[in-house]
Amino acid sequence: MNTDEKTTSNELIIANLRLAQQSEEKRKRAEELIIANKELAFQTEEKGKRAKELIIADKELAFQTKEKGKRAEELIIANKELAFQAGEKEKRAEELLIADKELAFQTKEKGKRAEELVIANKELAFQTEEKGKRANELIIADKELAFQTKEKGKRAEELIVANKELAFQNKEKKNRAAELIIANKELIFQNKEKEKRAAELIVANEELAFQNTEKEHRAAELIIANKELIFQNKEKEKRAAELIVANEELAFQNTEKEHRAAELIIANKELIFQNGEKEKRAAELIIANKELAFQNTEKEHRAAELIIANKELVFQNEEKEKRAGELIVTNKELKKAEEEVRKFNEKLEKKVVERTAQLEAANKELGSFSYSVSHDLRAPIRAINGYARILEEDYSEKFDEEGTKVLRSIMRNSKKMGELIDDLLAFSKLGRKQVAVTDINMNALVTTVKDDFLVEDNEKRTTFKTAVLPPAKGDPSLIKQVWINLISNAIKYSKYKDKTCIEIGAYEEGNLIVYYVKDNGAGFDMQYYDKLFGVFQRLHLQEVFEGTGIGLAIVQKIIQRHGGTVWAKSVINQGAEFYFSLPNINA
Amino acid sequence: MPYSNVEILFVEDSTDDAMLTIRALKKSGFANNLHHVSDGAEALDFIYCRGVYALRNINENPRLILLDLKMPKISGMEVLEKIKSDPATSSIPVVILTSSKEDPDIQRCYALGANSYIAKPVESDNFFNTIKEIGLYWMILSQLPN
Repeated sequence: MNTDEKTTSNELIIANLRLAQQSEEKRKRAEELIIANKELAFQTEEKGKRAKELIIADKELAFQTKEKGKRAEELIIANKELAFQAGEKEKRAEELLIADKELAFQTKEKGKRAEELVIANKELAFQTEEKGKRANELIIADKELAFQTKEKGKRAEELIVANKELAFQNKEKKNRAAELIIANKELIFQNKEKEKRAAELIVANEELAFQNTEKEHRAAELIIANKELIFQNKEKEKRAAELIVANEELAFQNTEKEHRAAELIIANKELIFQNGEKEKRAAELIIANKELAFQNTEKEHRAAELIIANKELVFQNEEKEKRAGELIVTNKELKKAEEEVRKFNEKLEKKVVERTAQLEAANKELGSFSYSVSHDLRAPIRAINGYARILEEDYSEKFDEEGTKVLRSIMRNSKKMGELIDDLLAFSKLGRKQVAVTDINMNALVTTVKDDFLVEDNEKRTTFKTAVLPPAKGDPSLIKQVWINLISNAIKYSKYKDKTCIEIGAYEEGNLIVYYVKDNGAGFDMQYYDKLFGVFQRLHLQEVFEGTGIGLAIVQKIIQRHGGTVWAKSVINQGAEFYFSLPNINA
Repeated sequence: MPYSNVEILFVEDSTDDAMLTIRALKKSGFANNLHHVSDGAEALDFIYCRGVYALRNINENPRLILLDLKMPKISGMEVLEKIKSDPATSSIPVVILTSSKEDPDIQRCYALGANSYIAKPVESDNFFNTIKEIGLYWMILSQLPN
């Protein structure tokens, strides 16, 4: 146990020595801390002094700002005085608008400068605020420093407490060996603690250094602020100089106004001259007004004349209205007359329609009359003829020569009666028939008629000599009847000649085509020409040439219906020439 | 059987015209088997074997009907219409004999189916020849249906 106890006691002694060293060091550091704290306190005192100085500076700044404010107020008052003076000048120089405008312009200038000063004051106030802020910051920094010194004091107290504890523990270790290890551990721990606190002290020292630099910065800032204050004081001096300049300018402007007053006097003289001119022109205007008055009287005369003219126009309009009224009356009468004419025309047309209807009815009656004549008269005539023939055929041996003659006479006469009825019927039909006008191909028409006659010509005695026939306008069926009648006459009246030669031709005469039929037959006596075309008129004996005498009457009636004419020439026994005209197709 | 072998039915109301026509047909040799009736009613009785002709053989149609138009009671037009509209009798040739060419019924007659339309000539020679030619044409030249 002795070596161990020796070692442990040595270790304890070493530990105690180390502790003593450490406690010495701690005492040193505590002393250093105290010194540091004293320094800190001194620095805080200093800071407090500077803060007080800052406050004083701030007060001075405030005082200066107040001074500036006063000066600004003085400037404002000066501006007001200037404005008042400008107003005074305006009052004096109402006639001098240009000078007043200049004054107004100058007041504006001054106002601008006042504004500038106000702005500068605002800037100064802003800067004092800034300084106030910085002073506040410094106060806060001081508070922080105080807090930190307190912290350090606290830590110093803690160190003292820790040292006391160490001393107590040393005592404890003296008493308890077993607890020394723990105490050493505790010491190690406490050393660590001390190291931490030393580090904290270093940090605190760094902070102190930092704060010192901060204080230096702020001191520099204060210097800058002081410089700014000096600069602003200089600025104020400048503006005061400017105000002096402005006042000199005002004085200059006052001289200018005196110049302008002189000009006003000159201008007033000119105005007096112009007034004289105006009076002259007024005199001229009076003359002009007299002329206008004269012209007005002239216009009144003309107005009176116009009124008279208007009355005349009104009168004429009344006249025109009267005539218009008369015209309306005459128009109405005309319309009445037209109406009457129209009604009369309607009556006429009605009458025409009635007459036409009557004519048509009459025509119809004629038609039915001729129909019943032909129809009803035929039967008895047929019977007479038939029975006569029976007598002749079957009882002729019972008749003597006289009886036979009588019988033949009966037959002949009844046959004639039939023919007369047929011809009469044909003639009356002609009167009623409508002429349907068209272009007639005369060559074709005549050829047809000729061929029919040639077919019946059993003895081949008849020759035709036909020229080319131009076309004409007419009713083909009626014109065909004309050709039939003329050609059959030509053949009939040539029957005693050896040869029947019939010549057919045509020639143009103006708008008409004249057609002709020439034969070499018996001809007729021109002495009885006016009977040639008569109804049932004959120029020859029935025994020589049979016929009823209706053929040429029919020809004449047809050609007349066509608007043409028919005529004839003849030499007895040498033949006859019959002509008829028709309109050509271009008519 | 009564009224058998009638070849020509002649319908004519005028005694004179009838006499002259029959005389002409006789002279031409076509009147042997001719029956003459004086009005339209009698003509239809004959055709349809009614009345006095009830006992006639209905299957024996005449070979030719000569028909006058203007007749009392039933007119020739009616007879024509009846004959031509009945299939049993429509094939019988019907020759219309009329007084004048101006008869306005010609269109209607042909429309009803008349086979021929002839105007009776006034002049006796012409009349005779016309009747003779009618007989020659319709009884000899023209072929009749069986």
